[in-house]
Amino acid sequence: MDSLKEDLKKQIIEQLNLEDLTVADIADDALLFNDQGLGLDSIDALELIVLLEKYHGIQLVNPEEGKEAFKSVDTMAAYIRKRKAA
Amino acid sequence: MNKTALYITAASTVSHQPTFGNAGFSAALGPVGADHALISPDYKAYIEAGLLRRMSKILRMSVACSKECIAQAGIGQPDAIVVGTGLGCLQDTEKFLNTSLTVEGLLPPTSFIQSTHNTMAGQISLSIGNHGYNMTHTQNTLSFEHALLDASLLLHEGDRNVLVGAADEHIDILDDITGQLAFETGAALTSGASFFILSSENTAYTMAELADVHVVGGVAGIQEETDAFLGRNGLATKDVDLVLFAGNPVDGALKNVPYLALSGVYATASAFALHYAADLLQADRGVRNVLICNALRESNLGLTLLRTVEA
Repeated sequence: MDSLKEDLKKQIIEQLNLEDLTVADIADDALLFNDQGLGLDSIDALELIVLLEKYHGIQLVNPEEGKEAFKSVDTMAAYIRKRKAA
Repeated sequence: MNKTALYITAASTVSHQPTFGNAGFSAALGPVGADHALISPDYKAYIEAGLLRRMSKILRMSVACSKECIAQAGIGQPDAIVVGTGLGCLQDTEKFLNTSLTVEGLLPPTSFIQSTHNTMAGQISLSIGNHGYNMTHTQNTLSFEHALLDASLLLHEGDRNVLVGAADEHIDILDDITGQLAFETGAALTSGASFFILSSENTAYTMAELADVHVVGGVAGIQEETDAFLGRNGLATKDVDLVLFAGNPVDGALKNVPYLALSGVYATASAFALHYAADLLQADRGVRNVLICNALRESNLGLTLLRTVEA
């Protein structure tokens, strides 16, 4: 299993107080901001920005980048790898 | 406060006692021990999961009590929401401040947003979709009485039903600064929330009549103020069937009960006393009136008089 995605799921659960979810409940490609997925909202988006800086040292300043990066755990992991490789 | 009759038509409390959704609880109260936990309802039955996960204890208690009150009173929406809180949302305040001390860079927004005193009233409003008057009073140990006064004024101005209540929450640091709080001691510091529907109409749901509320900051003589308050309501202390007090008992009353031993100590514990009194007035026809004498802080006095409603 991809350890970055595993870590991200743990961090999302902790940062957003998703008390009823476990890592196994979050699919890599589940849409984060969709009711069919995790059903997150705009406050959660701010929490995810904080999460990126807190755990991965990445500052997200361009909102357009956020839209793409926060689609799913898959896209978050890809965004983190891209930023760290740059 | 003028004398237009006001009625309590619903009440809901989360406390250490079996108060929530339990009419008649006043017959089965016992002293709160140091190891007592709050008796909480199943919050998921009252609050959507997406909102619940962000809510601290004080928000959960407040929203659940409010929804329970609205259901009890059989009203769609209250005309106004008025909340009293002595110390506000301490859990989120502490979390935000601790994070700001330990984290460099961006700070998580949720605890900041929810650290303000008016978060309870706001979350109640969002939870029930209410667009009416929304107010929070924070006046230390008299916060609840000020909320009651505000609700009373609204009803006198034409509102029919006002959701009014109070909540405070305990965090560990309060135990270290008890001296600075200057609260009456004798029971453990704790959390609690009580909400009511105060109405200008006497309905089938009416529990008691709110006869009068009076607050005095920097009080010089509690007994004199109490006697004068009762006098304005056509009573002497010997006419009061029960006094629920924080501070000192009222001389001359038939029965004095220290309510902090039942509720624990928090800035708005007098709201617990109001629910206790309303429940007792319904359950025990031998009790016709109850005076709540709140001197939780020696310099502050809150007086609330409840009367039974004749059938």
